[in-house]
Amino acid sequence: MNDFAHRLPDATREALAELLLAIADDEFVIGFWDSEWTGIAPMLEEDVATSSISQDEIGHARALYELLAELTGQDADEIAFGRRPEAYRHAALMNHPRTDWAFTVARRYLYETADAVRLEALARSSHEPLAQLAAKMRREERYHLMHLDTWLRRLAGSDAARERLAAALRMLWADALAVFSPVPDEELLVRGGELPEPMATLRSRWLEQVSPVLAGLGLPGPTSDDLTVAADDGRTRRTDAFRWLHGEFTMVAASERGATW
Amino acid sequence: MDDQERADAFYAHVMGGGKVEADDWMPDDYRAAVLKFVEMHANSELMGVLPEREWILRAPTLKRKLALTSKVQDEVGHAQLLYRVAEDLGKPREQMLADLMAGKTKFHNVFHYPTRSWGDVGIIAWLVDAAAIVSQQALRDSSYAPYARTMKKICWEESVHIMHGRDVVLTLMNGTSRQREMVQEALDRWWGPLMQMHGPPTDPATDRDLIWKIKAKGNEQLRQEFLSIYVPRIWELGLTVPDAGLGYDEVEGRWHYTEPDWAELRNVVTGHGPMSQERLEFRRTNHAATQWVRDAVLGAPSAAA
Repeated sequence: MNDFAHRLPDATREALAELLLAIADDEFVIGFWDSEWTGIAPMLEEDVATSSISQDEIGHARALYELLAELTGQDADEIAFGRRPEAYRHAALMNHPRTDWAFTVARRYLYETADAVRLEALARSSHEPLAQLAAKMRREERYHLMHLDTWLRRLAGSDAARERLAAALRMLWADALAVFSPVPDEELLVRGGELPEPMATLRSRWLEQVSPVLAGLGLPGPTSDDLTVAADDGRTRRTDAFRWLHGEFTMVAASERGATW
Repeated sequence: MDDQERADAFYAHVMGGGKVEADDWMPDDYRAAVLKFVEMHANSELMGVLPEREWILRAPTLKRKLALTSKVQDEVGHAQLLYRVAEDLGKPREQMLADLMAGKTKFHNVFHYPTRSWGDVGIIAWLVDAAAIVSQQALRDSSYAPYARTMKKICWEESVHIMHGRDVVLTLMNGTSRQREMVQEALDRWWGPLMQMHGPPTDPATDRDLIWKIKAKGNEQLRQEFLSIYVPRIWELGLTVPDAGLGYDEVEGRWHYTEPDWAELRNVVTGHGPMSQERLEFRRTNHAATQWVRDAVLGAPSAAA
C-alpha cells in the first residue's frame, strides 16, 4: 500500500477500490471486445486504427488495475484475469458481444463520450494518483473521441447505415446509462473529493452533451423507459456473451493454474 | 531504341545492381514478376493475421495482450503498405483481395496450418517471424526500390516481434513441465512447415526473381542462414529439433537436414492445407459482412458537422 492509500479511512479506501474496479473493468472489457476487430475491420486503414484504440483501453485498464493493486496489495494480472464472471464490475453496456460495425461504433461512441465526462471529473480527484492517471488518459481518449465522432457522422450520412446505427443505439441506451450507476458508498468518495461529483450529476452532464449531437444527426436518444430503468444492478448484471468472453480470456491462464505466462 | 533494346538495357541495369522506381519504364515481364512477388507477400501478411488473431482474446496477461494485439496490428499495417506497393504496379487493392479470397493467388505455407496452444503463439512469433525476417532482410536490396524501402520499415517491426516471441517461449521454458511440453509440442508441429517455408532449392541460372534481383538470395541460402542463426538458439533453450538428420557439416560449411516434404508444400500453397479453405472462408465471410460499411463510406458524403 502506498502513502496515499495509507492516509485514507478504511471505508473510503474500500469505496475507492470499488470505483477503480468499475472503471478498470469498463476499459478492460471494451478493449477485449473491440480487439476482436483486429485483422477483420471493414478497411485496412481502420483495422490499424481500431487496434490502436483497443490497445489504449487495455493499457488504461492495466494502469487502473495497478492503482487498485496498490490499495489492496494484489497483483494487476490477478485482478484482471483471476475473478469469476460475477465479480466483474463493468457497466452493462460492455455485456454485449462485438456484433457488427454499426453496433461497435454506437457502443464506442456512447462509451467514449461518457468516459470523457467521467475523466474530466476524475482529473480533479483528491486522490492524487487517480487525478494524474485520469489526466493522462484524457489526452489519449481525446483522439478516440475524435475518431468515433468521425465514424458516427460518416455512417449517419448514409440512409442504410444510419438505420443500423439507430437500431444499435436503441438497443444500447439503457445499458449505456449504467456507466453512471452509483458505486457502493459513493457518498464517502464525494465527501472526500476522491470522486469530485456524484455519478448522477455526471450522468446529467453527459446526456446534455450527447443528446443534441445525436438528434442533429437523426439518431435516437434515450427513451423515458431507458431513463427510468433501475440503475442498481447496472454494474453487476452479467450475460452469456460476457461469460463466453470470460471463458476465452481466462482459458490459457486456467490451463495451468499459478504458472507464469 | 526499339522495345527489345530498351528491355536489354533495363535488364543490364538491374542485373548490374541498378534500382527501379515505380514511374520508371520497365518491361512487362519484370513488372509482372515484381507484382506477383509483392502481392503474395501482401497476401501472406494479411492471412498471417488470422492464426495469431485467434489468441488475441486468450492472451493470459495484460502485457501479453498488449504485445500480441500490437504484433497483429503491425501485420495488418504491413499488408496495407505492401498492397500499396503492388497497386502502383497496376493492380487495384480490391482486385487483389478478390483474387486472394477466390483462391486465385497464393499466401505463405505457414499460414495454412492451425494453432493449438499458447505455445504456438510463441513459436510463430519467434521462429516463423525469424524465418520470414531472414528473407525479408535480403529484400531490402531488391532491385524494385519501393519494395526495398518498405522492407526496411517492416524488418524493424519484425525484429520486435521476434523478441516478443522469444520472451513468450523463454517464459514457458522456465515454467512448469506442462508449459515446457507445450512449447516442444508446438515446435514439433511447426518444424516441417518452417523447413519448407523458403521453398525448394532453385537453379540460380533460371530463377528470374534472382536474376533480376527482385530477391537477393536463393531459397537454400535463406534456409541455411535461418538454421545457422536459430538452431543453436533453439538448442540453447533446451528444446529438441524434431529432425534426426539435422547437423552442421564443418567440412562443407553447411547444414544437413532431412529433405523437407516438397509435395506437402505444393499441396498446401495451392489451397489444400489443413486450414486453407477455412481461413479463406473466414476472410470471405468477414469481407461480405462489412461490405455495407465500405459502400456507406465510399458512396456517401459525411453528414454536416
